[in-house]
This record gives sequence, C-alpha cells and structure tokens, in this order.
Amino acid sequence: MIRALLPPMLLPMLLLLSAAPAAAQGDRTLVSRLSDARVEITTAFTGADIIVFGATERALGGDHGRDVLIRVEGPPQSMTVRRRVQVAGLWVPGPSATFPAVPSFYALAGTRPHWEVLSEAERAAARLGLINLPMRSVGEQAPVFRAALLTLKQEAGLWIEQPGEVTVDGGRLFSARIPLPASVAPGEYRVSVLLVEGGRVTAWEEHRLAVDRVGTAATIAGLAVHWPLLYGIGSALLAALAGWAGSILFRRG
Amino acid sequence: MQVYLPIAEMSVDALLLLGIGFGVGWLSGLFGVGGGFLLTPLLILIGVPSAVAVASGANQTIGASVSGLMSNLRRGTVDVKMGLVLLAGGFLGSALGVQVFALLRRAGAVDVVVALFYVVVLGVVGLLMVRESLRAILRRRRAGPPARLHEHFWAHGLPLKTRFRKSRLYISVIPPLGIGVVIGFLSAIMGVGGGFMLVPAMIYLLGMPTLTVIGTSLFQVVFVAANVTVLQAWQNGTVDVVLTLLLVAGGVAGAQFGSALGTRLRGEETRALLGAMVLAVAAALLWDLVRVPDNPFAIGRTPS
Repeated sequence: MIRALLPPMLLPMLLLLSAAPAAAQGDRTLVSRLSDARVEITTAFTGADIIVFGATERALGGDHGRDVLIRVEGPPQSMTVRRRVQVAGLWVPGPSATFPAVPSFYALAGTRPHWEVLSEAERAAARLGLINLPMRSVGEQAPVFRAALLTLKQEAGLWIEQPGEVTVDGGRLFSARIPLPASVAPGEYRVSVLLVEGGRVTAWEEHRLAVDRVGTAATIAGLAVHWPLLYGIGSALLAALAGWAGSILFRRG
Repeated sequence: MQVYLPIAEMSVDALLLLGIGFGVGWLSGLFGVGGGFLLTPLLILIGVPSAVAVASGANQTIGASVSGLMSNLRRGTVDVKMGLVLLAGGFLGSALGVQVFALLRRAGAVDVVVALFYVVVLGVVGLLMVRESLRAILRRRRAGPPARLHEHFWAHGLPLKTRFRKSRLYISVIPPLGIGVVIGFLSAIMGVGGGFMLVPAMIYLLGMPTLTVIGTSLFQVVFVAANVTVLQAWQNGTVDVVLTLLLVAGGVAGAQFGSALGTRLRGEETRALLGAMVLAVAAALLWDLVRVPDNPFAIGRTPS
C-alpha cells in the first residue's frame, strides 16, 4: 500500500519543501522528512519502502565537497550465529557465537560512497557503515562468525550498504528509497540524515519511524506473547472448528 | 496473494499454503492418515522456521482429524476405554516432548534433531509398511491360508490386565500406555499426529481388530495434538494460527477428494504406495543432512 502511494505523493511534497520561504526554515542548512512516520505490518504485509527526502541550503555534489548520508537503524536484537560441522557423515550444529545487541535492521545510503565522504575515524565515531556496528560477541570468537552474520544479514536484505542510493535533483533536493523487507522486526527505528561538508558532519537530523504490527497480525502476536496459554487453547479450538466446518462444506455425495 | 504469518514473521503466498494443504489433505484422505509427516517437512522446505513448522503442524493435525473422529464416534467404532489409556500415555509423552523441544531450541539443535527423527522414524515405518504390504500382495496371489486373528507374545503376559470390551481384548494396560507415551513424544518433536505409527502399533502390538483401530487412533491423535498445540504455544510460543488455518482450509477440501479415490484402491496397494512415499520423504531429508551445505553458517534470533 505504502509502495503504491509514494511516488505521486513525493513530488508535490518535494516541491512544497523547496518552495517554502527560507525564513520559515530559519537558518537550518539541512531539512529532511520521512514519507511516513509509521510502517504498518498487516496480515497482507510484503515489505515496504520508506522514502527519506529533503533539501540543503547550499548545492550538493562532489564538486562542492558536500554530501548527504542517510542511516536507518532498527531496534537491537540478540542474534546467534551457528556453524554446522560434519559428524559421522552428518552435518550437525556445532559451535556458536551470540551477538547480544546488533541492529535488527541497518541501512546506509549516500550521495557518494560513505568511505569517500568521511575518514575512517569519523565513520567509526558516528557508527557509519556495517564494519562500525557494535559486534561484541559471546561464545566463539573466530572472525568467521562475524563475517557470516554480515553476509547472511545482507542476503536477507536486513543490512544494506550500497553507495549512490541518494539521488539529487537541481543541486539541492535529495531523496532516497530504503526498502524494508517483509521480515523486518517491529519496533522503533531511527532515521538519521547527515550533511557532510569537507570531511566533517556539519548538520544532522534524526527522525523516528515506528514499525508496528496492526490489525489481525497485531492481535494474534499480542495474544501469543501475553496470553500464551489462552492463545494455545484458542488455536486448538479454532483448528478443530475449521476442520469440522470444512468437512461439512466440502462433503461430497 | 501474499499473507504475513505473525508468529513465523514472514510473508508467504496464501495460495501456496492452500495448495500444500490441499495436496497433503488429498494424500491423507487417500491413505487414511493425518499427513503431518509430509506437511512439516514441506513447511520447512518453503522457509518456515522448524520450530514454527512443528508446532503449527501439530495444530493442523487437529483440524485434519476432527471430522474423522466425529464420524467414527457416531458409528461407534471408537474404543473409548482404550483411547483413554493411550491418551494418558500420550499426554505424558507429549509433555515430555515439548520440554525436550524447548531444550533443543535453546541449544540451536531443533533443525537437525527434527530432521534426524524424521529420517529414522519414517525410514523404519516406511520399510515395515512396504515389507508388510508386499507380503500381503504375494500372499493374496498365492492364495495361502488367512493370517491368525492376532499373535500372542510377551507383551500379553504383563500384569494389570484389563478388559477392553469394544476391541474384544483382555490385555495389560502397560503396552497401550507405553505406545501412548512414545507416540506422544514423537508427536511433540515431529509435529505429527502419529497415526501412521499408531495404526500399525495397535494392529501388530496390541492385536486390536481393524474395526476399532482407525477410530481409536483418531481419538488419541486429536487429543494429543491439542495437548501439543497448547503446550507449544504456552512454552515455546511457536504456534502460528494463521498458517494453521490456511493449511486446514486446503486440507479438508483435499481430503474429501482423496478419500473418494481411496475407496477404489485395494488396501495392500494403498499401503505399499504410502510406504514408498514415507520412504521417499525420509530419503530426501537424509540427503539434506548428508550433503555439504551451501553455507555452513546459519543465523537466528537468540531463543530466550
């Protein structure tokens, strides 16, 4: 739904933003917005795109040494990486490493690749880029576990780090589309927009994005978490009822 | 049409789930079994986490078996006393199974252990089925003497003998109790009703007459599956009711078509076919355990 609504919505919003008198925005060198402050996970959820857009006071681009970086970070999660090992010809689970607090979702986009825009120290300080995520782990310490987490999270589309995703129009308007896959964790997401000038972050804005289960999906998940016994009994009864009703409905002859 | 499964936290094509439900239902109607042993591996194959597939598979079994149980109750072909003895064992076994399942989940071993159980149980049951049905087919060809009503062996010499009037049996309660425990345990670990193991056990180990076997096994299957569902939801939070209902909807439709065809096939041929299918599933799962994985690493949320 969100995907379908966005493109027609985005243009007028961008125009409005750029047409707004400078006085209304004060002396801010960076203004940004999210297409939606809320992403709803319904029973028909297949993923969503969030659009981050905005304008800068002065022209963007490599020639001016001025760039925009956009970072989206989901709520932290504890993840376990497990390696399968061969025992007596069978591949069974072996050693594991647990990463107690890694972002469930992380995306970084920029007008240029972030490593060209900021120095390594600056990136580490601002937690920019997948290699700067806090990846302390419990259990196996071998670097392959860290590498596997990075690869598998990226394959699942939950950690994204691709340069050149932020498009610039007319020198000062920028926009980026960040895809959230269907497997995103619900919770509060933080979207940061950073203006980088001459190798330094000179302005930044942060937005909050709520990813919530709503409707039937929310009711079911809520019941299952808060009233697990009741939910279990309900599931058993519903299945029995559906099986009985179905056999009457489809009875032949 | 995509549908979001709130517990599995993934988006799946609803038509695919209905189709899987229909196909498994069709086969279960044809062979007269619940079909859980096909369903759970199929769900894992399309990417449903093992833990959710097992718990929801048990949930689905209730829907697939309840109408069969009701018609057997109406016809009076359920040995309720025997059913209750099996069920007592079943509750014990499934409660134990869910605990073991929770431990496995914490150890990150659910996937492999579930697969191993499938390979061993399906392998053994499939081989027995094929052997038994081939013998029956050969015996019919040779037109030899009919088999005895039932064999007597050590299991019938145990204490606590009780009369099961409807099954015309006077045996100890220990064997049915034990069978109940084993099937209940496997039901919790594998997400199956266990009818495909229970029916042969009742015929060959207890010597029950065919008339009461199906109804009584359905009695045990429905209530043990209900017990597993409630315990899995309560302790592991892995029952996805949206997934269950889609599977049941497809399944009941498929079962009606399957059973219509099933009445036209001979018993031995049906059992040989079923045995072959059980073996095929076991072989596929074994291959998955033996072959070199594409990626030896797997990630998942740390179970609490």
